[in-house]
Amino acid sequence: MTTVLVLLLLLAAGTYLVAVLEAWTASGRFRLAGPVVAGIALLGREFIVPRKPDRIFFEVAPVLLLLSALLAAAVVPLTPDLIITDLATGALFINAALVYVLVALLMAGWGPNGAYAMIGGWRFLGQLIAYAMLIVMPITAVVMRAESLLTTRIVASQAGLWNIVYQPLGFMLFFVAAMALAFLPPFDLPTAKAELAGGVEAEYSGVRLAIFRLGRLALIVTLAAAAVVFYLGGWQGPWLPPWAWSAIKILAVCATMLLAGRAMPRVRDADLLHWCWILGIPLALLNIFLVGLLVLVLP
Amino acid sequence: MSTLEQYGLLVGLAMGTVGFVLGLYALARGLGKARQEPGKDVPATGGQMSREPVWVRYHARYYGYALLFLAFDMEMAFMYPWAVVYKQEGVVALLDMGVFLAVLFLGLLYGWSQGALRRQ
Repeated sequence: MTTVLVLLLLLAAGTYLVAVLEAWTASGRFRLAGPVVAGIALLGREFIVPRKPDRIFFEVAPVLLLLSALLAAAVVPLTPDLIITDLATGALFINAALVYVLVALLMAGWGPNGAYAMIGGWRFLGQLIAYAMLIVMPITAVVMRAESLLTTRIVASQAGLWNIVYQPLGFMLFFVAAMALAFLPPFDLPTAKAELAGGVEAEYSGVRLAIFRLGRLALIVTLAAAAVVFYLGGWQGPWLPPWAWSAIKILAVCATMLLAGRAMPRVRDADLLHWCWILGIPLALLNIFLVGLLVLVLP
Repeated sequence: MSTLEQYGLLVGLAMGTVGFVLGLYALARGLGKARQEPGKDVPATGGQMSREPVWVRYHARYYGYALLFLAFDMEMAFMYPWAVVYKQEGVVALLDMGVFLAVLFLGLLYGWSQGALRRQ
């Protein structure tokens, strides 16, 4: 029980830092109190329900986004013991939980009965078809090396050599796909501030918008933590204690994700699908094949 | 912890999250309600009502990818158990899955040649 609370607090702290980082990369101003101010402001604002909504979809979407990020985070270890639940199917469970991001965004798109939101929601469905294979296929290659779906054992399998060296191709694919999954720029097609006025976020206001944004930030932290567990050796590292290594690596991955998108223009949905399928999936299959050979050849 | 307890914990986490959100909603509600004003609840459409209804059928222009995606998604369900026992089974596993993936990859190439991999 204490572990669960500690982990939730750490996730909240990580989310907070990512919110600060994102504001920093976006506006160039480093304000530690920024997220608190924004949160209180959103709490105090009116929360409007658009006319003729699909009320169930509209209400469920923000909660589901937060929930899918939290459930995925539940199987990600920070140290060998600091994990909410070490499921025997951990690596598969992360995929299962993260698919609900799509469901949440589709609901947020359909629910309010607004044109911009609807376009954002359907766009994200196309985006899922592009990135989904690039999440699951690299994880398969990670599992092949670890011989287990347990996330703790996946980290243990990287004791001699981190997976980022062992299968760099898989890491690159996973990293890009994770950015697309978290709809970070340049893959922010469903929200697209400039062209869709916020897209799936457009009709949310006040406290519902706060939950939606909290879910999105938690999703970024969760994905960074998953990337660390699968590719960057989790808690392993010299001198510092395990939890410190996990924290440093997760924040570093978050910062890289946030910075990487800043210099790029938004990708068109058709281009994203095209490149993911003609380049990404063949590369992911090649990665599985190469790792298959390496696992058999190396002791 | 037994498997059942683990899933119980996850259910508890989910319920806790819903409770947290409902608590925040209650707090926001306690701070005040939205004032009812005409036109305030119109979905954003650039300052006017949308001319066409929104809940209609759309042309999903990525349907070619979507059909291929179904095949690949099913294949991934087979890949996970295979990946776990891969090292034990050795070369046999590599060949088995190699043939399967080769067929699938040929399917992808065929789909590409037939124009499935573009915006329709």
